[in-house]
Amino acid sequence: MTHSSSLEDTRNMAATLSGEFADLAQIKKQLISVIAQCKERGLVHSVKASELAFSLPSLPLDEVPPALPLTEEDALDLDALCLAKSYFDLKEYDRAAYFLRGCRSQKAYFLYMYSRYLSGEKKKDDETVDSLGPLEKGQVRNEALRELRVELSKKHSAGELDGFALYLYGVVLRKLDLLKEAVNIFVAATHALPLHWGAWLELCNLITNTEMLKSLSLPDCWVRDFFMAHVYTELQMIKEALQKYQSLTEAGLTKSTYIISQIAVAYHNIRDIDQALGLFNELREQDPFRIENMDTFSNLLYVRSMKPELSYLAHNLVEIDKYRVETCCVIGNYYSLRSQHEKAALYFQRALKLNPRCLGAWTLMGHEYMEMKNTSAAIQAYRHAIEVNKRDYRAWYGLGQTYEILKMPFYSLYYYRKAHQLRPNDSRMLVALGECYEKLSQQIEAKKCYWRAYSVGDVERMALLKLAKLHEQLNESDDAAQCYIIYIQDIFSCGEQLEHAEVSTALRYLGQYYFKNKLYDEASLCAQRCCDYNDAREEGKALLRQISAVREQGESSSTDLSLPIVFNPLSNTTTPVRRVAPLDLSSVTP
Amino acid sequence: MASVHESLYFNPMISNGVVQANIFGIKDWVTPYKIALLALLHEMSTTKPMALLDRRRLNKLILPLQQGPDLTFEQLLSTVEECCAPMVNAVKLRLFLMADRELQDMEHFFAILPNAFSDSEAYKTSVVGLYMRQMLLAYNKLSFSQVYKLYKTLQQYCRQGQRPPRDFSTLAAEDMELTSNDDPGSLHQSDLGWVTSSDLCMGRVLPRPLWLFFSQAYLLKNDENKAMRPATLQEELNNILKFNPDFAEAHYLSYLNSVRVQDLYISTHSLLHYFDRLILCGGEGKSNGDEGYGRSLRYAVLNLATLHCRFGHYQQADLALQEAIRIAQEANDHVCLQHCLSWLYTLEQMKGSDSVTLTEDSVKMAAHFCLPYLASLGVQSLVQQGATQGIPANRLLDALRGTDVVHWKQSLSELVEISLAQTASIWRLYGKSTMAQQQVQLLLGMASLESVNYGVQQNNTEPFAIALCHLAELHADQGLYGAVGDIIKHLKQQFPSHTQHSKLWMLCDLKIQFEKAMNSGKFHLAEPHVTAIGALDSMEGLYRKAQLLRALNQMSEASKILQQVQQLGVKKRNTEMIIRVMLATAELHWDSSGFSASLPLLLQALTLTHTHNLQSLESETILHLAFTQLMLGVPEQALALVQAVLESVLAHGALLKKGRALLLMARCQAVLATSAPEELQVEMAVQTLAEAAVFFTQLGCKPRLRDVYYLQARLYHTLGNVQERNKCALLFRLLNQELPPGSSIAATPL
Repeated sequence: MTHSSSLEDTRNMAATLSGEFADLAQIKKQLISVIAQCKERGLVHSVKASELAFSLPSLPLDEVPPALPLTEEDALDLDALCLAKSYFDLKEYDRAAYFLRGCRSQKAYFLYMYSRYLSGEKKKDDETVDSLGPLEKGQVRNEALRELRVELSKKHSAGELDGFALYLYGVVLRKLDLLKEAVNIFVAATHALPLHWGAWLELCNLITNTEMLKSLSLPDCWVRDFFMAHVYTELQMIKEALQKYQSLTEAGLTKSTYIISQIAVAYHNIRDIDQALGLFNELREQDPFRIENMDTFSNLLYVRSMKPELSYLAHNLVEIDKYRVETCCVIGNYYSLRSQHEKAALYFQRALKLNPRCLGAWTLMGHEYMEMKNTSAAIQAYRHAIEVNKRDYRAWYGLGQTYEILKMPFYSLYYYRKAHQLRPNDSRMLVALGECYEKLSQQIEAKKCYWRAYSVGDVERMALLKLAKLHEQLNESDDAAQCYIIYIQDIFSCGEQLEHAEVSTALRYLGQYYFKNKLYDEASLCAQRCCDYNDAREEGKALLRQISAVREQGESSSTDLSLPIVFNPLSNTTTPVRRVAPLDLSSVTP
Repeated sequence: MASVHESLYFNPMISNGVVQANIFGIKDWVTPYKIALLALLHEMSTTKPMALLDRRRLNKLILPLQQGPDLTFEQLLSTVEECCAPMVNAVKLRLFLMADRELQDMEHFFAILPNAFSDSEAYKTSVVGLYMRQMLLAYNKLSFSQVYKLYKTLQQYCRQGQRPPRDFSTLAAEDMELTSNDDPGSLHQSDLGWVTSSDLCMGRVLPRPLWLFFSQAYLLKNDENKAMRPATLQEELNNILKFNPDFAEAHYLSYLNSVRVQDLYISTHSLLHYFDRLILCGGEGKSNGDEGYGRSLRYAVLNLATLHCRFGHYQQADLALQEAIRIAQEANDHVCLQHCLSWLYTLEQMKGSDSVTLTEDSVKMAAHFCLPYLASLGVQSLVQQGATQGIPANRLLDALRGTDVVHWKQSLSELVEISLAQTASIWRLYGKSTMAQQQVQLLLGMASLESVNYGVQQNNTEPFAIALCHLAELHADQGLYGAVGDIIKHLKQQFPSHTQHSKLWMLCDLKIQFEKAMNSGKFHLAEPHVTAIGALDSMEGLYRKAQLLRALNQMSEASKILQQVQQLGVKKRNTEMIIRVMLATAELHWDSSGFSASLPLLLQALTLTHTHNLQSLESETILHLAFTQLMLGVPEQALALVQAVLESVLAHGALLKKGRALLLMARCQAVLATSAPEELQVEMAVQTLAEAAVFFTQLGCKPRLRDVYYLQARLYHTLGNVQERNKCALLFRLLNQELPPGSSIAATPL
């Protein structure tokens, strides 16, 4: 199957939804029952299900599903289970496990194993602090895992595990780095209990590419659509994810805060800032005390430099809970926007102390260290980010930038290339690559990069300018002029004012270019426009004088108009011109 | 989205965003091994009456034990036992007393520890005293839970000593089995608990990464075959890195390992990762000075350049090198600049351009900055270039001798080896086979120096490969094909085909096979070798192809290819090849009876051999000249020429060449005898032929043997010795039937 057709397939898959969405009441019933089951077992994933259930219209009394009937075994274990659950809630896991050891019911068995697992995890975390030296630090393991695995695998081969226990088995396998088996078990868990979102989530973390996703046989259930949307987001297939979420909202889940937040995150990933901001604002209206995803929101505010909004958000979150990773990230962003980079780095560090696997904070901390010119710390932060997630293109890009600052362009090429691999259609990496190549005097490669950056949609609108300058250096004046022309059109057509816009440079060059080619009308037009800019005014005037001098000598301008004339729209600059049709620039492509 | 189960991986070493932990900071932590060592020291200082010899041996043992990696309890005990048997029991008793009782006993041990040293000969500032104080300090820093954990591991450490011994490899295999994707059913519960506890046991786990790093890195450099297999090593490293992401050295080892299997992707990745990590470790120093991370930055780029060099990406290497040079210049780091310069000329050399001036500069600067290694390398490189460009031999050998003095003074054993291999190569180039052989033997005999230079022995380096190849070729020259087979087998073992230097012996093996096939007239056997040689060395391959074509009587194709080789040779300035091509072209002229046309070529070749001191080729050229003269009808001159070079040919030449020279001489003598019939001349000719026949039989060179018999028969005929004549004629007939038709006598003129 070719790549494009497989992509087509995923698109189609993304558009269709499970038929079960026709009956929302049924979904709500299922949700209510699974929430109850999760709660009994001490699983906190039920929060997502509760959010979803809340967004659906409430059921009349007679339709509220009754609690599951108790089996005989359940009844036997009821007291022990009650006691153990209380201990479990108090985080006394060993105690809970002790009282559950003889129980036979599925529910009690799960809680028994889960307590042992959590106890092991807790001990592991405590141990880490008391390590006996740097080497031993990483060696601390959850000692319970191996025993759990043996017991669970026995039960599994006997076919005695229910959906929840399968899920736990999968988690244990994943922790032991037996990823292949873990995937199989999680798939089995979703089949056994499709409504348990935790199993889906774990599965999602283990999926690395679309091929793997396709090879899995997943149960046909409405949860699957949520799962697919989530996986698409994780795999950076934002278009498909958005489609999926769109159809989910259309199916009647408009009020779900979960879906809104996911869509907002997806828009953030494709840098559609306005859409994402709108959604986040809506989200905050509906759920004002929400902390989850607020770090993403703050990133957006940061990009737009919306200081008051960011400050308000930071204050608000501190009032809700100041010891949350998201809060710390928001505050870090806030300080960073105020150029207080030391404080920003401090808050990102605090976020990392709260959760060292928080990827965003590592990268952001790297950025802060970069601002503080502490390159070695920046490299370390970025490396940590990559360790947590190898696919973090921002960290790779940051590493590249760091080495570029250290004046090692060849070295940074590798990192930029990595970033480019992860985001093939992001112009920033391409421009960075081009700059490196330019520094290494590899003009041909640089030209390729810039041109590609322009072709994929240049975010910073720098690629063309750089390309033009490169052509200028190489004395390819025709190509340079072409690039400047498109650049000017681009700048004016996008409407917004850019700080680094170098229209004057372009105009100056074009003026000279037309003058040399004896196209005096165009040259004088350019020269006049030059006079609008401070830095080019003198030269503009000089050029005008030159032109009039030449004209006085009686030389008529050449009528040979082989050169591209695209300046008609420019004569009227008070209103932004509309985008002209792309020119044939085949001569420019290296 | 973070899962709720995501463990709170907490890094206590972090401060100010920089992880302070370094693998080599390990010495500041108490481990069970160190407690055992302390117990030993304690016992040593408290037991006063001890045999003097025992005490001396123990004292000698202390330093290696203190500075080496952690040993298992058994290893430690057995090491001690070798020196002083009663001490073992004392140490054992003390440790078991601690381990088998309660935590308090360990606390007590540390409490009484300083007392033992206060009134003994171990002063506070001595090595032992310092070590003891360091350990005490480290112990006192531990929190209660850490102390308890240490005690637990100590118990396991001692208990492991009581177990039946299980060595590392099985343990590691078991460990891996657990983490690999095996069938859960295959797990034995009884094993489970044990492996878990032993994992925790510091005696095993703690020194492992360090041990692995040092031993494997050393082996990768010096004796690759003894190192772990690449896949196993990589798996081991991945394991270490998973738990110790800060262990930068593992990345370096992974780089070495992946270079070994020619994996560009992983090697680049690991190299960059290593330096990213290294930069952090050096971060405490001055930011851009000599000590700070600016230095590792420079070497990072330089290493990247060498990596690209190794993979043959010359343009990339060039870019990286320029970058390294630039930042080294900015930082005024002359040492780094010197390294860059030496790589620069290496790169130029690899690219095939002239780098003599660069190399000379490099040598001068290196000498100025007192960098003997780089200076010597430069000199060696200059010598190599000089040898091919015809610098007088005495100057080259003088230069090598000069550097040799430096090598021995600084004990740069690597360079000594290179120097020996180079000398051997030069002698071979000059055609002095005995001298070459002597140098090769000297290098191979260096193994006997192992006891002097403990552990510096390298078996797996390029010089050894080159030396062994020379040895193989020298043996092949003398027709000792059995020995050649043995040498090639050894090379195959030492340098398996996936390793870096394997191409050397492959080419050598192929050349020998080709020569053998050609000599015995089995051209169909030689043909596949030509393709194989061409794959390893295109110019050599073309030359061999021309030879084969000529033997198959396809003259015009052969001539075309020879022209091609000539051009290549001129481009690569390979004088040896140019001369060989000239000789081959001359032979082509003979085949078309253009004897006079071959003369100017041969004379040109002769001048070239003279200027480049290529004695072997010189005698070869003279033999060619003699044959031409013989064919042009001046046998007296020819004979004189042959006699002039006969001495050196017999002294240094290959068997084939000796035989050919004798055959030619016999021919001249025979021709002279026919013009002026003289019994003595004929007899001499017969005798010469008999000698030649001995050489040819040894070599199995049948076409030439046939010529010899033919001539002998003719000569016997003139002498009237019918019986001998018939015998020779019969031998001739037998050989003629055996050999393929078409290869007439004229086909083997020389």
